[in-house]
Amino acid sequence: MSVGVVSTCCLLSCSKPSSQVHGYLNFHNSMSRWRQNRTVIRCCNRREKPRAQHNYYELLGVSVESNAQEIKEAYRKLQKKYHPDITGQQGHQYSLLLNKAYKVLMSEDQRRKYDESIGQMRVRFGENNSPLGYSTWNGPSRPHALFVDENACIGCGECVHFASNTFTMDEALGSARVKVQYGDDDQNIEVSVQSCPVNCIHWVDTEELPVLEFLIQPQPKKGYGVYGGGWERPANVFSAAKAFSKQLKTKEAYGQSSGETTVEESPAQAQARAQASAEINMGGFFKLWKWVKETIGINDS
Amino acid sequence: MAEASYTVASDSETIGEDKSSAFPEIAIGIDIGTSQCSVAVWNGSEVELLKNTRNQKIMRSYVTFKDDTPSGGVSSQLSQEHDLLSGATIFNMKRLIGRVDTDPVVHSSKNLPFLVQTLDIGVRPFIAALVNNMWRSTTPEEVLAIFLVELRVMAEAQLKRPIRNVVLTVPVSFSRFQLTRIERACAMAGLHVLRLMPEPTAVALLYGQQQQQSSHDNMGSGSEKIALIFNMGAGYCDVAVTATAGGVSQIKALAGSTIGGEDLLQNMMHYLLPESQTLFKTHGIKEIKSMALLRVATEDAIHRLSSQISVQIDLDLGDGLKINKVINRDEFEEVNRKVFVKCESLIIQCLQDAKVEVEDVNDVIVVGGCSYIPKVKNLVASMFNGKELYNGVNPLEAAVRGAAVEGAVASGINDPFGNLDLLTIQATPLAIGIRADGNNFVPVIPRNTTMPARRDLVFTTCHDNQTEALIIVYEGEEKKAEENHLLGYFKVVGIPEAPKGVPEINVCMDIDAANVLRVLVGVVMPGSRQPTIPIMEVRMPTVDDGHGWCVEALNRKCGNTQDLVTVQKKV
Repeated sequence: MSVGVVSTCCLLSCSKPSSQVHGYLNFHNSMSRWRQNRTVIRCCNRREKPRAQHNYYELLGVSVESNAQEIKEAYRKLQKKYHPDITGQQGHQYSLLLNKAYKVLMSEDQRRKYDESIGQMRVRFGENNSPLGYSTWNGPSRPHALFVDENACIGCGECVHFASNTFTMDEALGSARVKVQYGDDDQNIEVSVQSCPVNCIHWVDTEELPVLEFLIQPQPKKGYGVYGGGWERPANVFSAAKAFSKQLKTKEAYGQSSGETTVEESPAQAQARAQASAEINMGGFFKLWKWVKETIGINDS
Repeated sequence: MAEASYTVASDSETIGEDKSSAFPEIAIGIDIGTSQCSVAVWNGSEVELLKNTRNQKIMRSYVTFKDDTPSGGVSSQLSQEHDLLSGATIFNMKRLIGRVDTDPVVHSSKNLPFLVQTLDIGVRPFIAALVNNMWRSTTPEEVLAIFLVELRVMAEAQLKRPIRNVVLTVPVSFSRFQLTRIERACAMAGLHVLRLMPEPTAVALLYGQQQQQSSHDNMGSGSEKIALIFNMGAGYCDVAVTATAGGVSQIKALAGSTIGGEDLLQNMMHYLLPESQTLFKTHGIKEIKSMALLRVATEDAIHRLSSQISVQIDLDLGDGLKINKVINRDEFEEVNRKVFVKCESLIIQCLQDAKVEVEDVNDVIVVGGCSYIPKVKNLVASMFNGKELYNGVNPLEAAVRGAAVEGAVASGINDPFGNLDLLTIQATPLAIGIRADGNNFVPVIPRNTTMPARRDLVFTTCHDNQTEALIIVYEGEEKKAEENHLLGYFKVVGIPEAPKGVPEINVCMDIDAANVLRVLVGVVMPGSRQPTIPIMEVRMPTVDDGHGWCVEALNRKCGNTQDLVTVQKKV
């Protein structure tokens, strides 16, 4: 019972600080900024499972791989929006959370522990600990890697037949996928590549691999009522990858010139963050304070 | 929760406030120093320092009691500096405010040319000015309030509007109790404190603004800059490390101590006249005059030593007491060696707390009255491998300018050029915790925690069937509870009877951005998700004068029957 009340009030206090704050005229400008930029792809969404998973990373709007610099910038940016000096007392709760998240993520030790606790593995490109959907490496890293264009794949299973340690069938999608790079000896791999009737197995540069493997995964498609919905992936994954890399580069270049590498959040993300706040708030002792405050009618948040 | 205000606004004032809500009142910045003070305000495009009728931007902080009406350094015209020291003039109140008479700082103030009397039992010192051969008693709060009223009148006359909200700069080492005394003085002067800003953080804000402006000018490169701010005035020495980028100044660490120009002055006076303590003990009119003469001459000598290698002091203190001496700069530095060593240790501590290496510091900012002393400048520069000191700020005006900027930011003012697109993220200068595990101080919020802050710790009972627990809140860095500043105490009753170590007593401390501290205590029995008794929330500090006594009385009354112990963290 109390959960619902709390999250609503947190939502109000976190996502709409302007409603009770006078003199902070800047807020509406920043709202419109959010809208302009909301189409930009954000890294942190990419491996998100359909279930709602809110955490410190989302609170700060950074990816799980982000480095200290990115976290710092995101933190400062959000503080500038929500710090009680700017939004008044409403910002207190939210600012507390930001401080907490910042403290944990800035300390290598605490961050590792936190990552473990939320079951989030930090993946760096080219490292060996990739979860489902990404190929792992057998042996040392090489300049080229195998990639299956799953759009073209007809699911014949020839490649799996010749190099079963390297390829695997995704039964749900009915297409083959690279499981382990160089999982079999070079000869078997070569045979399996040749055996593909539609030539959908490609040798690609190792640097391009993570982007390709990311883009080839079906992403949930936005639905409008009964229309749309479902899953989609780019029709031509190679040109999509090129566009993506280019976008990343311009973003970096932009980031360097203006000192901003984090992307403005969309209203939906802001709401997700507010929900995250509410959920984090619910942990442990805080719940107790909230409960009492509501019961005895102190309302200072 | 609405801010509790001390002042009762009259009807007309309320109307005035309503009118100004469309154009929010810009809070003014006041730097009320131990020896000097100034007022500044954001005038819409930049910070402007207000001048008094004598065209001074920096005024002396003192109040002279004469007949009925006391007058302060803002308005009164002093014919001769010696008049200032006739016994009727009270100054150095920032050193005395909120201190008890066992405090060494109070004792060292006893040779000021007015009356500071101690009983050495832990109560307020007795302070009095000599008016018409009578000791007229006063308090540090009263003196500051008289002074603040003059500053307020001056500002109102120039800005042609009533002034209510102020941002005041305070030393880092002030305890929360001392901060309440400053608030009290402001309330007495009809001012509402919007923020009390540690002095170096005000400088940090100003620095952040300058960095942002310069990054606007050369189109970006909003890279992070780390600055160390060293502020040494007449009464206090503060250090801060700030990391600033994109207009956000993050205070990484703070350190402060009650050392300053006053200590240098007293050391020199003692050096010139070692027997001064005993000579002036009686505090007669004659002695006060001699003390004053010595003080004025020594202060003047120290000032001159900043530009000269040596000074000649010729002084006739009356009663055949004469001082003829040449003092050179080396002597001055040797006499005050301990003070300078302390300055160094503050900087080292601050860098360590901030986890910043000397090489990482982009700018070193030295401000405050003592920054004119060559030794201070050299000392700081040499700690940073001879780095050139930042010269973008006026050492005497930096703090008040920063306070004025904060006043504008905190009043919600927007600047079309983005000059107020700023934020200071403050840190707590001192740890806050409770007494537990016997007589130990257990911090709940450690020092240099980013504000706003909320932390909680679980304690438990130390006796079987203990139904009451005493929560005694302290602030400080010492291991033993009573060596820290007492903030307040209260009792939790109604703990269900259980073997010792079973009830979970959760102590939560919450500091908001306006630096208001709330202590919340809840009791939970294992297996239950709900508190067994209503949670207690207490706004601290609650103590009044006579700090240490209360705890002694509590100890006599309760012994250790209501003590708490920390719970080992469950992993």
